[in-house]
Amino acid sequence: MKLNGKIAFKDVETGVWVIEGDDGKTYQLAGGDRKLLKEGARVEADGEVDDDTLGIAMVGPRFVVKSYKLR
Amino acid sequence: MNFRASLVVAVSMAVAACANQPSEDVALHSLARPTYETRDLPDDHSAHVPHAIVVDFRDGTTKAEFDALETAWGVDLELADQEEGQDSAITVGAFPGSEEDEDALLERIRKNPEVEAAEPLMRYQASFTPNDPDYGKQWNLAQINMPKAWDVSHGKGVIVAVLDTGIAYENYDEFKQVPDLSGVKFTEGYDFVNQDRHANDDHGHGTHVAGTIAQATNNGEGVAGVAFEATLMPVKVLDFNGSGSTATISDAIRWAADHGAKVINMSLGGGGRSQVMESAVAYARKKGTVVVCAAGNTGRGNVEYPAAYPGSVSVAAVGPTGEKAPYSSWGKELDIAAPGGDTSKGPEAGILQNTIDRRDFTKSVYEAYQGTSMATPHVAGVAALLFANGAKNPDQVEKALFASAKPPQGARGWTEQYGNGLLDASAALKALKKLDTTELLPLEVQVAQAHHEAREAAPMETFGARTFGPTDWKPFAWAGALLAFVLLTLGRKERPGYLNVLFTPGFLVPMVLTTLGVFFVKWVAPANELTTSMTLPLPDWLGRIIFGRGSLANPLIYSAALPLLASLFAIKFKSFRPVAGGIAIGFAGILAYSAWAHAPALAWLPFTFLAIPFLVANALVCLFIARAMLKREAV
Repeated sequence: MKLNGKIAFKDVETGVWVIEGDDGKTYQLAGGDRKLLKEGARVEADGEVDDDTLGIAMVGPRFVVKSYKLR
Repeated sequence: MNFRASLVVAVSMAVAACANQPSEDVALHSLARPTYETRDLPDDHSAHVPHAIVVDFRDGTTKAEFDALETAWGVDLELADQEEGQDSAITVGAFPGSEEDEDALLERIRKNPEVEAAEPLMRYQASFTPNDPDYGKQWNLAQINMPKAWDVSHGKGVIVAVLDTGIAYENYDEFKQVPDLSGVKFTEGYDFVNQDRHANDDHGHGTHVAGTIAQATNNGEGVAGVAFEATLMPVKVLDFNGSGSTATISDAIRWAADHGAKVINMSLGGGGRSQVMESAVAYARKKGTVVVCAAGNTGRGNVEYPAAYPGSVSVAAVGPTGEKAPYSSWGKELDIAAPGGDTSKGPEAGILQNTIDRRDFTKSVYEAYQGTSMATPHVAGVAALLFANGAKNPDQVEKALFASAKPPQGARGWTEQYGNGLLDASAALKALKKLDTTELLPLEVQVAQAHHEAREAAPMETFGARTFGPTDWKPFAWAGALLAFVLLTLGRKERPGYLNVLFTPGFLVPMVLTTLGVFFVKWVAPANELTTSMTLPLPDWLGRIIFGRGSLANPLIYSAALPLLASLFAIKFKSFRPVAGGIAIGFAGILAYSAWAHAPALAWLPFTFLAIPFLVANALVCLFIARAMLKREAV
């Protein structure tokens, strides 16, 4: 699926990167690479929601980025 | 050492001291001030402060007299405190010499007519206070009443499995145990990520969580933990990134339950609903394991899995003020709230434990984290205290936890933000003691009763557990008041006559049955699930029959629907009118009371701000129906 939104860092647990989607949901950022980790950057990402993985962050569904464009 | 309070106990032995005096004086004296006996005092020699005594002089003894006696006895006397004013005349004395000297000295001092009493100085430590240097920074432990709970239980021997990123618990390969887990008991765990027996932490999260449960305490190092004599079982299910799969975690849940874990702590969540994990949670609970899970950090109204599975205790987080932390998830499946920190208020508002450095897992650090992950191990730790103190099964542990939890100010029981309320370790241990006698009653009734007993000062506690407690008279009282109101609004011609209404069984019986249930059944039949159900108000009883025990109040039943149905029936059969009126006024009472008491969480209505207008509107409809039914028919 395509996901547009804003990259953000959330200080919960040991800290976690998220995409605050334009759909109003928060997604835990997974996949992609370290160039994605820019607080406040707008991103157009393509990837999948991973329903099968749990973790310590618990900030929202895990979105595994396959490709992305930063703006 | 920071003793929370050390009490100097001074007990007057006026009777003994006055024995030498003329009897008239004795009588006067015992009138003038109360006398005490010493037999209630524990004769604990370790509580004696060496070289110190307490001497209580008769009131009005002058400074000059003190000074003279001081010299005569060889004791350095000082007024104990000024609270009673200048003439309190209780002094604390210091003297040189041994304990045998003390007895002789006290004997001698007691003989003096100016002295009412003299005894060794005793110090009482108010509660167990650990000597860990940073214990003072752990506001979270004070918030859940740990010092008092530690007087009762340390969780000795109870196995708590920590399903997480592992624990820095051993020196193995490049891993090192963190210093403040030294001396803590561990049982063999498993690393489900790397498939070996060394569930060490390569992340930092799991060690922090384990620290909250059982950090080495009273060891002069670092910080304290909740159940520090519990046995930790390290189970690694999350990789160095802090994530793991449903399959792995489900496996680990069953493994831990099979290997003797009484409590499973899962400070993790996310993903979709998984049948496999749901049945693993159910399996563990059936095996007698309490499963405690984090509600999630979305800040939104949905509880994450596995916390949302039935059988799991789901935990929300609060900050130091006791207010829900902004990140904490909430919702219908929530059970309880515990301190998770709120570092938006500063780093000292986080939860401080010993863990490994996130950049270098061989290095030990003390770090303050925030999250529902941090709240969860507080509950797991208290669950261990409860098991160590005699809880027999998860049912009892959960009842004690929920019944003793403190609802937030202004709320009366279960809420979507805090579940049953804020964790209270000491109150939970007390609640456990009361459970045995009420074992036969259904869960929500027990919770309601315990709420009621625990906080009798607050009048509405029976409303605690989503439904009414047994025979709550308040809905009836509300219905009565509303009945009076309805009768007053009727014009003279329409009025049915007060006595007629009140003594028509056709009206009164439905009203009573609707609001009180079959309240008298408990006097004629033994308490069991059926009879207790019958004493619930009609909507709760109906809800339980249709939707099952423990379900949320259903808006279909908690509405004017049933009275409306009855009134339609009454249009056809006129003699049914008083019955419909009784049901309607009863429902009006229940709905109005529910709204006023801040409403049970209604199924399908996610927000209390919707539930209250809903209840009010339906109560008004009921009133309207009742009025129509009671109206004398125009001839």
